[in-house]
Amino acid sequence: MTIREGNGMNPRTVLAVHSYKGGTGKTTISTNLAAILSRKGKNVCLIDLDLRAPSLDKTFGAKGRKFWINDFLHDRCEPGDIFFDVSKRKKLKGKLLVALANPSMEVIRESVASDRKQEMMALRRLLMLKDHLLKKLAMNYVILDTSPGLSYASINAVTAADIVLVVTTWDASDFAGAQGMVSELYSMLDKRAIVLMNKIPKQLLISEVAKMELTDQFATAFKLPVVDLLPCYCEVLSQERATIMALDRPKHPFSRSLVEIAMRIGGR
Amino acid sequence: MEMPAQLYKLEKALVRMERKIDLILGSVGKRHRAKGVGEVKGAGALDIMTLLSLPDHLRKTALTLTKLGKAMAEDVAKETGRARAIESAYLNQLVRMEYVWRERVGKRVYFSVGENTGGEGL
Repeated sequence: MTIREGNGMNPRTVLAVHSYKGGTGKTTISTNLAAILSRKGKNVCLIDLDLRAPSLDKTFGAKGRKFWINDFLHDRCEPGDIFFDVSKRKKLKGKLLVALANPSMEVIRESVASDRKQEMMALRRLLMLKDHLLKKLAMNYVILDTSPGLSYASINAVTAADIVLVVTTWDASDFAGAQGMVSELYSMLDKRAIVLMNKIPKQLLISEVAKMELTDQFATAFKLPVVDLLPCYCEVLSQERATIMALDRPKHPFSRSLVEIAMRIGGR
Repeated sequence: MEMPAQLYKLEKALVRMERKIDLILGSVGKRHRAKGVGEVKGAGALDIMTLLSLPDHLRKTALTLTKLGKAMAEDVAKETGRARAIESAYLNQLVRMEYVWRERVGKRVYFSVGENTGGEGL
């Protein structure tokens, strides 16, 4: 079953990349998927919604940034103030707009201490931004790189998304937590989700048959489509944040796998 | 044929009844608020954690209103695919729970989250 068949992907889609625990590879996967889709000529918007541990600034650079996604969510600026287009710099066919989260400690503290009314406003602003990006700016894809677990920022992102890509690892607590999120949170919000298993020990993926059997087992456990099982690539982990594997090392198996995933998500 | 005219009359009667029910719900709500009785009261903010704590049928309505900002029961019904009268009842329940504001402009009743626009509610 392809994702397109199973989930009826819309050509204008908001995808939230979420996980139960940190360090599953959400940001790397979000960034690479955004770059791949944009290289294919799609207009893509990538937003860092990990407000407590921002990291997209390390990939795209934050020099001279006046406004951040935090400012938009707190009604301190307009959508046009927070995005910058990196498509020329990265030699991409489609647009790739990026909105960063403010990495300063003071702003992270503000984000941790925000109250329920501020979070309600943040959700409304995020839903407004979705409309603006898909309808006014005609973006094909909006990718939300969320914070792990159940925080206001991550649940707001899941709420705004049309589909959630759950990135989970082989780790037992991560796996169980992700199952809980899928069966409780996503079903409460009536969200469609797909699963990507990352950092799987290579010895478990010795053959295509073994990989298919494992994929079926995970799909049964999650009751969701599993898009791929990615092995743990030490060379991906050792890359600097500024590297976008799919652009800088397109022939690497990690990049090839992500191209396949992007195509299944709807980039053909 | 007789039937379309009768159906038209019936529809008009139902709309009148719905308006009366809205008015009754509004005045009952006011009395309940004055007496301090009714459903579980919210603290005003319809944030995502509060939304998750609502029963399924109300969550769908509340999420849709959050998305729309300010809307009539009819607008919410268009989004959820449920009947206008059902959404009207759920929205009024959210008003009584003090999560949603209600404002009458002429014959129209608007519901909103987050800001007091001078209507009933919080």
